[in-house]
Amino acid sequence: MTTRQVRWALLCAVAGFVALAAGIYAGIDGRDSLTVDMRGKDAAALLGVSLPDTKGKETPLAQWKGKVVVVNFWATWCVPCREEMPEFVVTQRELGGRGVQFVGIAIDQPDKIDAFAAELNLNYPALVGGFGAIELSKTLGNRYGALPFTVIVDRAGRVAHTQLGRLKEPQLRTILTHLL
Amino acid sequence: MIAALGAGDTAAAGPKLLEPERAFAFSVQALDERTIEARFAIANGYYLYREKLHFSIEPATLAAMPTLPPGTIKDDEFFGKVATYRGQLAVRLALAQPAPGTNVTVRAESQGCADAGVCYPPQVQNITVKMPLPGRPPEAPIAATPTRKSWFN
Repeated sequence: MTTRQVRWALLCAVAGFVALAAGIYAGIDGRDSLTVDMRGKDAAALLGVSLPDTKGKETPLAQWKGKVVVVNFWATWCVPCREEMPEFVVTQRELGGRGVQFVGIAIDQPDKIDAFAAELNLNYPALVGGFGAIELSKTLGNRYGALPFTVIVDRAGRVAHTQLGRLKEPQLRTILTHLL
Repeated sequence: MIAALGAGDTAAAGPKLLEPERAFAFSVQALDERTIEARFAIANGYYLYREKLHFSIEPATLAAMPTLPPGTIKDDEFFGKVATYRGQLAVRLALAQPAPGTNVTVRAESQGCADAGVCYPPQVQNITVKMPLPGRPPEAPIAATPTRKSWFN
């Protein structure tokens, strides 16, 4: 084996190890491979968004900078979205005082959002996103543009986690506890 | 690499999903000078909601509202009994008047989900077909062109 071949073999071995480690880490971390890995990326584009609530009042997300912000893209026509939201209500109630702020961005009509929010006693803002919100979610790694999609932003304003599909409570608690 | 290794058992929707255009592959075929068949080939593990499925055509008009197959009843925790489609779905669209040799655009609005636990937003797809002349055999079906490429291909 020439020196060049040895170097090449070593490089491949290192690259393989790094890829394996990344994969294992991703597995341990529970990162959802259905999303583009955005962890550590600046979430300024998301926190810079201002959307109306169901009464038309503009709600800038920037007001929650410094908190752990959980942005959930959802719709009333999305059953898995409806299934996970009661857990978000409980988590908001229990961890809100410690700096967690949930924000729902609905791809839906205001009257439908209001009806479900009332049914759920929703204790966090439900903003009206429209189809533009799907595009916004794609910039945050939602490669399929599907729902539910959740982005967790840390206190420093960086993406800590993205999830396509239901974010189960134990995983949610683990991530939030780590960030608080 | 990461997709294969990092998929993990925590990924709520599994390691891979289809783009909506591929999960719900839409195609249209003009059968004769006044009949169009619209089809959805629904991938295994995906379903469309019957009540969210709507067809219209331009510039011609439909003879009547198309008859949608009854579908399979799904007992949904939130929506009650709802009809869904899986596998192959074919819907005949009858034009009010024969339109031989003219271009007709079929507009399909659909919304569906994956069993893996995600739903896709309603999507609108348009396909234009040329209506055959009387007595001529139908042209081959025309598939909707995916607007986005899969990240995996």
